[in-house]
Amino acid sequence: MSSDNGEPIGERPTQEVSMNINGEPVTEAVEPRLKLSDFLRNYVGLNGVRVGCEHGVCGACTVSVDGDLVKSCMMYAVQTDSAEILTVEGLSEDGSLHPVQEAFHEAHALQCGFCTSGFVMSTYDLLKKEPAPSREQAKEHLSSNICRCTGYQNIYEAVDRAAEKMGGAEDDTAAPEVGGDD
Amino acid sequence: MSRSDAPAASDAAEDADEEGFVGKGLNRVEDHRILTGRAEYVHDIAPENSQSMGLLRATHAHADIVDIDTSAAEAHPDCALVLTGEDIAAEYNPMPCGLNGISEWALAKDTVHFVGEPVALVVAADRYVVEDLIDLIDVEYETKEAVVDPIDARQDETVLHEELGTNVPDSENMHFGEVEQAFEQADNVVENQYSWGRISGVPLETAGAVAEYDDETDSFEIDCNIQLHTLVDDTIYEPLGYDPDDVALNVPPDVGGSYGTKIAIHRYCTLAAIASQQLGGTPVKYVEDRIENLQGGDMHSSDREYLFRLAFDDDGTIRGIDVNFTDDFGAYPRYPVNQALKPLTNVTNAYHIDHLRYNYELVLTNKTSQTAYRGFGVPQHLYALEMAVDEAARELGMDPYEFRQHNLIQPEQMPYKLPTKNMYDSGDFPAALTRIKELVQEEEQVEDGLLDPDIVEQRREEGKYRGVSYTVHVEPGVSGADWTDRQRSDRDSLSDREMDDVEELPEHLRCELLDDGRLLVYLAADSSGQGHQTIVKQLMSDELGLLPTDIDVDYLDSVEAPTEYGSAASRMAVMLSGAADGLADEFIANLEQLAAEHWDVAESDVTYQDGSVERADGEARLSLVDLAGLDTERDADEQLTRAAYDYQHPVYENEEYEEAFTNKYPVYPTAAFAANAPIVEVDIRTGEVEILKFYTLRDCGTQLNPTIVEGQAHGGIAQGIGAALMEEFAYDDSGQPQAVTLFDYLLPSTKNVPEIEMEHTETPSPFTATGAKGTGEGGMIDGPPAITTAINRALEPFDVVADQVPATPDRIREWLRESDAS
Ligand code: FES
Ligand code: FES
Repeated sequence: MSSDNGEPIGERPTQEVSMNINGEPVTEAVEPRLKLSDFLRNYVGLNGVRVGCEHGVCGACTVSVDGDLVKSCMMYAVQTDSAEILTVEGLSEDGSLHPVQEAFHEAHALQCGFCTSGFVMSTYDLLKKEPAPSREQAKEHLSSNICRCTGYQNIYEAVDRAAEKMGGAEDDTAAPEVGGDD
Repeated sequence: MSRSDAPAASDAAEDADEEGFVGKGLNRVEDHRILTGRAEYVHDIAPENSQSMGLLRATHAHADIVDIDTSAAEAHPDCALVLTGEDIAAEYNPMPCGLNGISEWALAKDTVHFVGEPVALVVAADRYVVEDLIDLIDVEYETKEAVVDPIDARQDETVLHEELGTNVPDSENMHFGEVEQAFEQADNVVENQYSWGRISGVPLETAGAVAEYDDETDSFEIDCNIQLHTLVDDTIYEPLGYDPDDVALNVPPDVGGSYGTKIAIHRYCTLAAIASQQLGGTPVKYVEDRIENLQGGDMHSSDREYLFRLAFDDDGTIRGIDVNFTDDFGAYPRYPVNQALKPLTNVTNAYHIDHLRYNYELVLTNKTSQTAYRGFGVPQHLYALEMAVDEAARELGMDPYEFRQHNLIQPEQMPYKLPTKNMYDSGDFPAALTRIKELVQEEEQVEDGLLDPDIVEQRREEGKYRGVSYTVHVEPGVSGADWTDRQRSDRDSLSDREMDDVEELPEHLRCELLDDGRLLVYLAADSSGQGHQTIVKQLMSDELGLLPTDIDVDYLDSVEAPTEYGSAASRMAVMLSGAADGLADEFIANLEQLAAEHWDVAESDVTYQDGSVERADGEARLSLVDLAGLDTERDADEQLTRAAYDYQHPVYENEEYEEAFTNKYPVYPTAAFAANAPIVEVDIRTGEVEILKFYTLRDCGTQLNPTIVEGQAHGGIAQGIGAALMEEFAYDDSGQPQAVTLFDYLLPSTKNVPEIEMEHTETPSPFTATGAKGTGEGGMIDGPPAITTAINRALEPFDVVADQVPATPDRIREWLRESDAS
């Protein structure tokens, strides 16, 4: 049992939660007031969950809880007891990219990247429900996420590309890579 | 691996072929870590045992602090530290301001000057406990009259800062050309007021700092997302009372957006550092929450009231402009006071106008202070100017397109010197304006197009009025450093200055060859999404004949880096082009020296090419790996596999700019430009504006990476839409902020940003190493005037003009109600 810097919580009341996060079981005792976003970031170390407003507008903290898209800043961790949670870290393995992530990369659908986890999760959710979304459907679905950098144009492009990739269609429009990462 | 022996299978090598990597839309190297959730933003940095800091903020706009009772907070079992303004003042210094003679403390001392001003800090292990502690502090205030209206504030009935004695800490009335004569002689003069609401960049990532004081070395390490960390580090080491070398600011490679705004987050860095020092070196972390950010995060930007006059002849020729404005700087005239001056760089926009007056006043009110925001004061000016141009065309009954065309600077006038002494480097403005109109006519003024006359008429019957306007805008790029302190200088003596008195700041790049033959390049500038690492890879690959995959790019902290400017003012494309060019020359010269020494031949007998040095006889060759090994064996003080370069300024040596430099007029040597044509539809019942499509033709000279250029334009336009239609930090009469959540401060979403149809032309800059021009700010600069003039067109039947932005539904309904025509 620990607070966000690893120190004991002390006298404050806690409640035990168990859930499955990105395929791994997690059990922790947390304060009932702990937001799911803070739980995922500070207790589980999933920093891909970004926090941009903590009042449910920006969508940077978007994750999937039991298959539903959720703004994790608007839920308490204790509400997700026994839930299945998927975050952006769980989309792919070993540093490879999920087709949605690939599409965002190829379409230059991110700049500062702070909104990106949320958009990737929303796009993932959209394509699960609607494998070939129209532009209007994409706009509607992504309207609960804010991006301050890209003006959304390339995000639409990424949605189309991802749909194509996941539908197994050929995609030969990729730009060359500069390679590596630091 | 060098390009010469790259495997044929490599996409990148194929793509570069003979031409190189610059100019290609290479995908970004930054993306992978971000997409997988593994990028480390400052919010993610949490050293072991770090403590969390929170701030208690003022609830009144203007009040004296009578008493602060911190005893209950201090008695809390988990409280590590509480400090008030008095504690800070006892041991530290005030923060520097943008003007002389005024002190701002990191925690308010005696008096609070805006809602949200930090009054006390608390530290605990857990952020949730921090919030509990904040609630336990009791402050007794004695409220004072709040100064809210900037126009009234100038009367000085209530003065914010006694030591200044006035709410107008800076003003200047500048004349260029024969402006009075021009106004007397012109056939017509229009005069109008335009108002630009308080807005800002509002990056998705809020400010954050993690500070650690080291007792042994008596120095600080601060991880933070400040922008311009090599330039504005004085705003942190000065209040701490330390030398620059004792306060290392380290900005993570990934920052969640800034757009200028994070230049001014020094309060947080300073307070976290103080808290860490007070705790004997425990790391202290502060992350601003969104409400703090919007309400009192030192983050607002330009808030202007214009009185604009424009003199013109009956044939439509503009004779002169008379620009008067106040800018509401809030509680303290912070660093970006020179936002008031930047419009001098493109003061006539794309028009040839010889005579002008530029008269501004900075005003202080009980609101949060200003920071920089994309465009740095220019969007506001272009908005007012283009509104006045519209007004003049209306007065003459002339088509505003023709009126604009008639006044544009012609391509043969390039490079063009403005009356304010800055120059436009290159560009064909008339062609751009012609093309954008042609494009819209071809695409939309056709059957079933958005401007199909039948459809337009039909929509009008439903209360929806469509409009389009065609405008051209100049985006000044690069800036310089010397002019930026004009307002702290003795302005009367500036005309005596010579070029030797002008002090510019360079852009620094350095590199080192690693043992495995890879090149590590260090950026001194920080980044917040612009893709600098990718750009540097492209530039250095071409300079050295390497592949981008042979190069890594990292960042320097404020102590490792020399004092240099950094990334702002649409600088980096130009400055990195020059810096990479110079760095490669140095590096190649070093490698050639190393090889020549090794072979014991003259340096002229060896040649570097594509990742190796060859002897003139063609008999011997050293690869980068060989050279790295040789340098290690060489055992000399100076390593030849390292190089550093400071690129000074593209036009410092250009005599045409001398008058601007010596007089401290803003120098922005590149003129990117855009011709815009947004098609808007105004619902006269709801007042809502929908942008149906945004046509734009853009030119920023040589594009280093067209994909990145396009992304910058998209994002800028989206922010321009926000500024024109939605965003505003409003205040009530008592100085209470009305936009403290993202439910009130409305950011454009997918619902507000239309499809953007973009074309590009490339008119290289004659002044820069690659022909690139700066282009980070474009859409934010040229979006608002394009949109508001389109609203003017749409509402022409009602005689309504968008003389206030944001043009919110409320305002538009009010204008329509008040208009005689409706
Ligand atoms: S952080 Fe959850 S919606 Fe903004
Ligand atoms: S990429 Fe910066 S907020 Fe979306």
